Amino acid sequence: MAVGRDEKKVTDDLEIFSADNLQSNMKIIYYSRTFLSIISGVIAGILGLTGLTGFIFYFLVMAITSVGLMAKANFSVHAYFTSWNQIIVDGFLSGLMSFVLFWTFAYDIVHIF
Amino acid sequence: MAEELVLDTAIRDWVLIPLSVVMVLIGVLRHFVAKLMRSNQTLDAKIVKEGQVIVRARNLRAGANFIPLKSFRARKVYYNNEENGLLHVPKGQAQNPQAQMFSDPNMAMDMMKKNLSMIIPQTLTFAWVNFFFSGFVTAKIPFPLTQRFRSMLQNGIDLSTVDVSYVSSRSWYFLNLFGLRGLFSLILGEENATDDTQRMMQMGGFGFDPSKSLSAEKDGLDIVQHEWALPKFEKRAENVLRKLVG
Repeated sequence: MAVGRDEKKVTDDLEIFSADNLQSNMKIIYYSRTFLSIISGVIAGILGLTGLTGFIFYFLVMAITSVGLMAKANFSVHAYFTSWNQIIVDGFLSGLMSFVLFWTFAYDIVHIF
Repeated sequence: MAEELVLDTAIRDWVLIPLSVVMVLIGVLRHFVAKLMRSNQTLDAKIVKEGQVIVRARNLRAGANFIPLKSFRARKVYYNNEENGLLHVPKGQAQNPQAQMFSDPNMAMDMMKKNLSMIIPQTLTFAWVNFFFSGFVTAKIPFPLTQRFRSMLQNGIDLSTVDVSYVSSRSWYFLNLFGLRGLFSLILGEENATDDTQRMMQMGGFGFDPSKSLSAEKDGLDIVQHEWALPKFEKRAENVLRKLVG
């Protein structure tokens, strides 16, 4: 979960950034979100969370991820990404699908049989 | 929940876990088979040349503000002028992509291979699941759902009294099919062959016309507003240095 290099700088009206590095940053966000959604799914399943609590758990984990990513970027988001949305929103829904699957899987194995 | 179903642990050991593991393994297998079958086709020199020209023009557009106006103009003319500019495509010379496809059997072959590597394993696994595991409850989703999801989640069970959160094996297969994409992108890397939606997009854009992208790049270069950035940079550098010194 390392955030890529800082190459993007914002001047007054001109944006100078390296597209490759931006993309690699995005990729890292995507990977860390997917990874965490799978892990949190398994944890939620083992803990036996059901219904709304499980989804709240997911939101919580994603919020912590966002904070962690921001901390990794030294809270100067514009040095690494073009907007706040990228760090907070991206990969949220695609992670939800993996989360639900692994949540169900772990929950079933541990609890319902 | 009014009534809790008691499921046999044998279902877990012999259906739920094997099914999930098999889905993952088949995804991995498909990835490597697709990698193996990808023929390294020899590219036409002309197409490569055009692609490189487009890349160069794009670089010019991206870096336009870092060169003086005069240099930018000179380069723009080099790409865009109406007689012999690199991006200029004479009328009537544009190749019909359909004809190009038929002239190159490799292309059609490649597409067919890609499709087959996608369809065959899916059909096989679906048939396998259907044959061995049809007709009983396999799993239970840990959150309640409305009646509308019944046809989706209890595909293969014809009971209307079972709680909707119980999932049949066939539906568990579908859940796996969609939910494992994230896992595949983690274990197989970026360009894994299992991403079906991207495949569809590629098929839509199949048979792309190089002359079209040439002229699109030309238009893009035409509308670039040039503003030399370097004068401002001296000031910026001055600020940074002052901050360091002061």
